[in-house]
Amino acid sequence: MNLFEKIFNHQILSRLEDSGTFMVTSHERAWLKTMLEHPAAADAFTADTLDKLRSALEPDPVMDISLHLMEKARSMEKQVYHPLLRPLRRHIMNKTGIRITYEIKGGRVKTGHSGFPYKLEYSMVKREWYLLWHHIRHHAFMSTRLKNIHSVEAEPIKPWAAESILKKLGETLDSRKSEVVIEIVRAYNAEMSRIMYAFSSFEKNVEYDTENDTYRVRVCTLGDEMEYLLSKLRFLGKRVRVVEGPYLKKRMLESSTKALERYGVIPADDESST
Amino acid sequence: MAKESFDKEIQFLRMLVLTSGAFSRQQFAERLGISVHTFDKTIRRLKDVVSSMHQHLPQEQSKEFSESLRFSYYDSTDPQLLFLFRAKSVKESESHRISLLLGAMTGQARTAMELLDLCCGSTSSELPMPDEKTIRSDLKYLEEVGVIRKEPGPRPYKFRIQDDLVRSLTNDELIDLYDFVDVMANTQVPSVQGYLLRDGLKKHLMRKDVEQHSVEPFLYKYHYYSRILDEAHLFTLLHAIRHRRKVRFLYFSPKSEKSYASKNTNPLFERDTKGKAEKTLPLKIVYDHQYGRWYLIAYGREGIRKFRMEGLTQIEEDESVDEAWYKERQTELAEKMRYSWLIDTGRPVTVRARFFNPEGSEQNFIKERVLLQGQWGQIVVEDKDSFIYEITVNGTTEIRPWLRSFGSSCEILEPAALRREMIAEWKEIQSYYESV
Repeated sequence: MNLFEKIFNHQILSRLEDSGTFMVTSHERAWLKTMLEHPAAADAFTADTLDKLRSALEPDPVMDISLHLMEKARSMEKQVYHPLLRPLRRHIMNKTGIRITYEIKGGRVKTGHSGFPYKLEYSMVKREWYLLWHHIRHHAFMSTRLKNIHSVEAEPIKPWAAESILKKLGETLDSRKSEVVIEIVRAYNAEMSRIMYAFSSFEKNVEYDTENDTYRVRVCTLGDEMEYLLSKLRFLGKRVRVVEGPYLKKRMLESSTKALERYGVIPADDESST
Repeated sequence: MAKESFDKEIQFLRMLVLTSGAFSRQQFAERLGISVHTFDKTIRRLKDVVSSMHQHLPQEQSKEFSESLRFSYYDSTDPQLLFLFRAKSVKESESHRISLLLGAMTGQARTAMELLDLCCGSTSSELPMPDEKTIRSDLKYLEEVGVIRKEPGPRPYKFRIQDDLVRSLTNDELIDLYDFVDVMANTQVPSVQGYLLRDGLKKHLMRKDVEQHSVEPFLYKYHYYSRILDEAHLFTLLHAIRHRRKVRFLYFSPKSEKSYASKNTNPLFERDTKGKAEKTLPLKIVYDHQYGRWYLIAYGREGIRKFRMEGLTQIEEDESVDEAWYKERQTELAEKMRYSWLIDTGRPVTVRARFFNPEGSEQNFIKERVLLQGQWGQIVVEDKDSFIYEITVNGTTEIRPWLRSFGSSCEILEPAALRREMIAEWKEIQSYYESV
């Protein structure tokens, strides 16, 4: 199997698009057939659809990749699909409102709140799905784990209200973005590749200062991403230093001070000791 | 025809993505070990591919290339690097002919002669007329890649596009299929075929008047964006493993073994432009979720060897080895990697660490994360405030960043050397921020 087949060529593809032709190769079918063996498939389709797909793919081979590929440092795969995914994606598609009952931290239950769903988000770190939705009465953008949703059903919303939420959403997300600057400590420039890989899951820009041979990574984050970024910074340890971003600096100082207290290197709760 | 290599494009795109915007043309070319002329040529070629794929977004074309490749979470979940796999060059006349043929075989089965007539009768012809041999070889190719199927029946054979997959489904079922492909391509490896299929299904849905808003309901947080670049080599290597064949390649080690402190230039991209010629026997491929990187684990004269997939170029297959002997090497490797956090095959050690439960939080996110990411490690002791996690791993180098990522919620108990190293490292980190 070669991924650089001429059938995937961009000119062929765009011509097919113009003529409205759907084309699928045996590569893609073998991939799909392999993925259908994953337990997630049972939650993704009705039994009827699954049968149809399996019979359409009957002549195709399954990939034998799992025999030769090892995945390491992977989070345990708790959930790939969730039963609520199918109904919720349809509410999103239809731009309909929802009436939702969900559990919040501490186990309290919020019953029958009106909302507008706009995205379903999967965390590769936590291996879980979240519903991103707008809470109509509180005018707040919410993120709720699907497993904490007790019930959800469609509730009509005026089309103009839906559009105005979507518009507001774009503006709010932009305004929540903030920038921090992280410098690669020069002595570790040799580990650049690894460090850049670690930051590759963020929206970022890299600046290179030729004179001082120093790299600075300007990371653009949303508010709720700070904790994840922090864990990445601790992950990289002394290789990187936050140069702009007071909150992250403060947290890194706290982390290191508290860690040293744990090890008994510096006495606990003694602010003056260094 | 000479085998078209995408090594240069892959290297190029990886650097572009990882260092987004850091270098000027000159610096970029230097670091890749190519001339500015080659740099310009490569970027022009990639730009052509990108702009033909995004023909519906004219504003994209005017954007700077690296800018349009920038990772922007809320913009789109389309994997932009996918265009690399669209870059195989095809002659204008061929792309025209193949799309014409596929269009003609949609909905009805056709013989080679009917297709020939159709091609010759096609109006837009400043292009050369194809002959029967060309059409037959096109059909053979399309059948090979599984895009069309020969219908059962007597000669002359009829061919039809193989689209049962979507033809048998209702619109609602198509949405389920699209979603499944989207989710699996984004959460599993390998993913390139999935992304290609997703792309086809997406266009198919949009032709059925499904809105853009409806085809992108999902987001995936913290993806290693460049991981699909290395899948380019995956299938070549899998083929070699399946056939127990050695491979030859030119290796550019991404890290310099030498001390770097005294070096004045950037060692990563100051490549040895020659690379190192290697010949080795592939045993296993490893995908590391911690960084989103791929490795080739192989066997050579020196024993087990590890290569970063991103450093491999000009891969070619060589002779095969004895089956029984190959099995032994694989078993041996499996044994050695049993305790590899990632790929370390060094001596196993037992690491013990105390994790502290979060104060004043009802949710124990520390324990949740340890259970989720701690691989085969076990929680051996637990009390109200903390728990002890124990794991046997090959060496401590690979697990260390993960332990450190917990900050002050993790205290290394054993081995003593790791404890000392961790203390030293926290001291250094503290010194970075003390003056704040």
